[in-house]
Amino acid sequence: MTIQKVDALRKKDGCWGPRRNGERFIVLTVIAYVAFLVIAPISALVGGALQKGIPSFTGALSTPELWQSFLLSFEIALGVIAIQGILGTITAWVIVRHNFRGKSLYNGIIDIPFAISPVVVGYMLLLIFGRNGILNPVLQVFDFQVAFAVPGIFLATLFVSLPFMIREMIPVIQNLDRSQELAASTLGASRWTTFWRVIFPGLRTALFYGIALTMARAMGEFGAVLVIGGGVQGRTATTTLYIFHALEERQYVEAYTAAILLGLGSVLIVSLADWIRRRSQH
Amino acid sequence: MAAVPRPANRNTRSPESTLRVLSFVFITVMIVIPMIVILQDAFREGFNEFWHQVTLPVAVSAIVLTLWTSALMTAINAVMGLATAFVLVRYDFPGKSILNAIIDLPLAIPTLVTGVMLVILFGPQQTLGALLEQQLGFQVIFAPPGIILALLFITFPFVVRTIQPVLLELDQAQEHAAATLGARGWTIFRRVIFPALALPTLSGSLLSFARAVGEFGAVVIVAGNIPFKSQTAAVYVLGAVESENRLAASAISVVLITISLAVILFTNRMLARRNRS
Amino acid sequence: MKQMIGKVLFAIVLSVLLAGCAANQPIDSGSSGDIHLILAAYTTPREAYGEIIPLFQAMWQEEHGQTVTFEESYQGSGAQSRAVVEGFEADVVALSLEADVTRILDAGLITHDWKSVGANGMVSDSVVALAVRPGNPLGIDDWDDLGDEGVEVLTPNPATSGGAMWNVLGLYGAALRGQVAGVPGDDPDAAREFLKSVLANVLVMDDSARDSITNFEQGIGHVAITYENEVLVGQQAGLDYELVIPRSTILIENPVAVVDEYVDEHGTREVAEALVEFLFTTEAQEIFAKYGLRSVDPDVAAATSDQYPPVPDLFTIEYFGGWPQAREDIFGESGVFNVAIQEVQGQ
Repeated sequence: MTIQKVDALRKKDGCWGPRRNGERFIVLTVIAYVAFLVIAPISALVGGALQKGIPSFTGALSTPELWQSFLLSFEIALGVIAIQGILGTITAWVIVRHNFRGKSLYNGIIDIPFAISPVVVGYMLLLIFGRNGILNPVLQVFDFQVAFAVPGIFLATLFVSLPFMIREMIPVIQNLDRSQELAASTLGASRWTTFWRVIFPGLRTALFYGIALTMARAMGEFGAVLVIGGGVQGRTATTTLYIFHALEERQYVEAYTAAILLGLGSVLIVSLADWIRRRSQH
Repeated sequence: MAAVPRPANRNTRSPESTLRVLSFVFITVMIVIPMIVILQDAFREGFNEFWHQVTLPVAVSAIVLTLWTSALMTAINAVMGLATAFVLVRYDFPGKSILNAIIDLPLAIPTLVTGVMLVILFGPQQTLGALLEQQLGFQVIFAPPGIILALLFITFPFVVRTIQPVLLELDQAQEHAAATLGARGWTIFRRVIFPALALPTLSGSLLSFARAVGEFGAVVIVAGNIPFKSQTAAVYVLGAVESENRLAASAISVVLITISLAVILFTNRMLARRNRS
Repeated sequence: MKQMIGKVLFAIVLSVLLAGCAANQPIDSGSSGDIHLILAAYTTPREAYGEIIPLFQAMWQEEHGQTVTFEESYQGSGAQSRAVVEGFEADVVALSLEADVTRILDAGLITHDWKSVGANGMVSDSVVALAVRPGNPLGIDDWDDLGDEGVEVLTPNPATSGGAMWNVLGLYGAALRGQVAGVPGDDPDAAREFLKSVLANVLVMDDSARDSITNFEQGIGHVAITYENEVLVGQQAGLDYELVIPRSTILIENPVAVVDEYVDEHGTREVAEALVEFLFTTEAQEIFAKYGLRSVDPDVAAATSDQYPPVPDLFTIEYFGGWPQAREDIFGESGVFNVAIQEVQGQ
């Protein structure tokens, strides 16, 4: 939802600045609300990062542990995106194009990760992969570690970001022009060619946007990673866990700096995807 | 949350069944199996033990706190979200595009950081915080109001962004007609505009409610986490997990999941019914 | 069609394998002669280990020509203990209370008699004490002041923090022993009433002892129930608060143990046992004393008795019949603590 689109539509109908006092009041209330709720805390965060001055801030930016944890968060996000991109799109496809009994339940299930508490997510994974977990014997055989290791963090992150890609893809798949697909297969194109040449270009932008949302969500996950992860620096400490521990170690500038970095990164990724999406609409 | 899409063409070709299998396996492994595991663990020692855990006063207190703070937050969010969407679509004022961009910020901030920010800003040790508590007469941070504040921050975009597109597409002819007939602003809003927005407002609100019930990162920092006073269900589960109280952890987790699932299914049902009419 | 499915499956399997392989670097020591040791500790001795570990590394390098690299994790004692049980492959654990080591023992990960090492397996001591604002404006000098009207208290959550359990035991124990003004001794009901009055004043229950004290440092609350050690370390870090030791409090004994299962898996037993042994040497004990922990070595303790004055009425976990009994009686579902907190909220 961009402001340019909003204004373009409105100028057709005739726009107005708030003239009457009632309208002015509403606008002011909203602005005050947003200022209080959103702007003020974020300013406090920035202020906190700069509280010891710029040199301290730049020093915090070059802490190796920070980048170590950032790298881990990023790698995990990439893995999550790879899987969500493929399997998430497939699931969205199945929901739009297929019909089967229990489809609405299936559709509802997909939203579960969105609403489940991260603590519960981490705990579920522990029940399965922990020392007393159901799959532990199997893991022992392969000497494969999930809990308190990267695979555990990966799975937790994969779980919580599940709905994002699927929800982005569904409307786009719905709006696909099927006549082109039909034409392509009539002309003898294989399924794969049809997909790659005809369908995929239509999905591309939504895919990017889904990737951006998934990435932002994946890198910001805290609760689930805390329960399943361990937070050992250099091994299983994601950026959020780094922030958590920095706060404990009284390293406030480092913590706030990392937080700003994470927030800024997420905002940038999503803005970029949004920009790509807008561009493709012209 | 979304209504179930109905394919226009019901003849699906069978090679696509492989896709279906892939999807089913993915969703089953990722979502269904963990759900079953935790369900089975909660009832490991029978229903009575499950019920015992769920009705423990400290657990009940946590669940009740979670529910009422989320509900109150949802009510506020519905009103302010509606107002914000309205302002963004219908009015023009300096700084509007900045406002629009800011709306999405909470989605990018990790919840842990949200909690920290709120304590920095509104904590009792700061002048602002102390002043606030004096004026309001009650504690904000480390108490339920702090929880509500954190939840409001996190779910702020949901209602706004659900209403905005609907409001944009709204045909203003009816409003103009009403105005010609002599109705004034508030009446027009109440009778003409709001009915069209009722559904997106509700679905956006329910979305933020479901999200709020499970929130952990922000709440654990900003709430007091004192049992019976400021401890939410999610924080209670963490305590149970960490003190090896598996039954309590599983039981309350199941309760939380049930609540979220119920809200989601209800919303989807509602949207589907709307789409059909 | 089959081609497409094949490609898709291949991509999925590849990503999962890559993720798994990248993550699962073998932790055991390689043939290069480098040893990798994992230490799982609670939050309080972070600074002490920061100094002890390099000394140990230097010593080992000299004696054996091997480099020992360390991975350290510091979090709440209970959380740490749980992590080890659930799969965090720590070679050595240094925790806040015996019960957390017992949990690891019960999980079958420790199979030797860890208490036969050093001073009964306990590597350092501290006492439950109070942190107050500079100048002690509220004039808090003992337990009884914490129950007063309007006093804001900080203490962590017993479910997640070993520190919180020590705190409650210190408070409740002192009351039971008749060492709290206005509370008759040997009267569990009176002691519980006192506990309630303090709990009613608690502002925030944090996850761990460290979180609790950092909150206090941010200006929250009037007094924090904490370890003497936390206060001293904070003061060393330049933070401005005062230490008040009640006339009756509990002795906190911190255990350390080698985790047999993991050291054998990693092949690090020799180094791990050496590390634990090293912690009991005068050198290490002096460092513990430097960072606010009371030494278990009698000579070092005597030498630092200025810094660590004796407590008039010092009791141990034995007063409650040991940890298993204490956990049951005080922190069990119908234990004193849970009953008290329930009654405080008027349920």
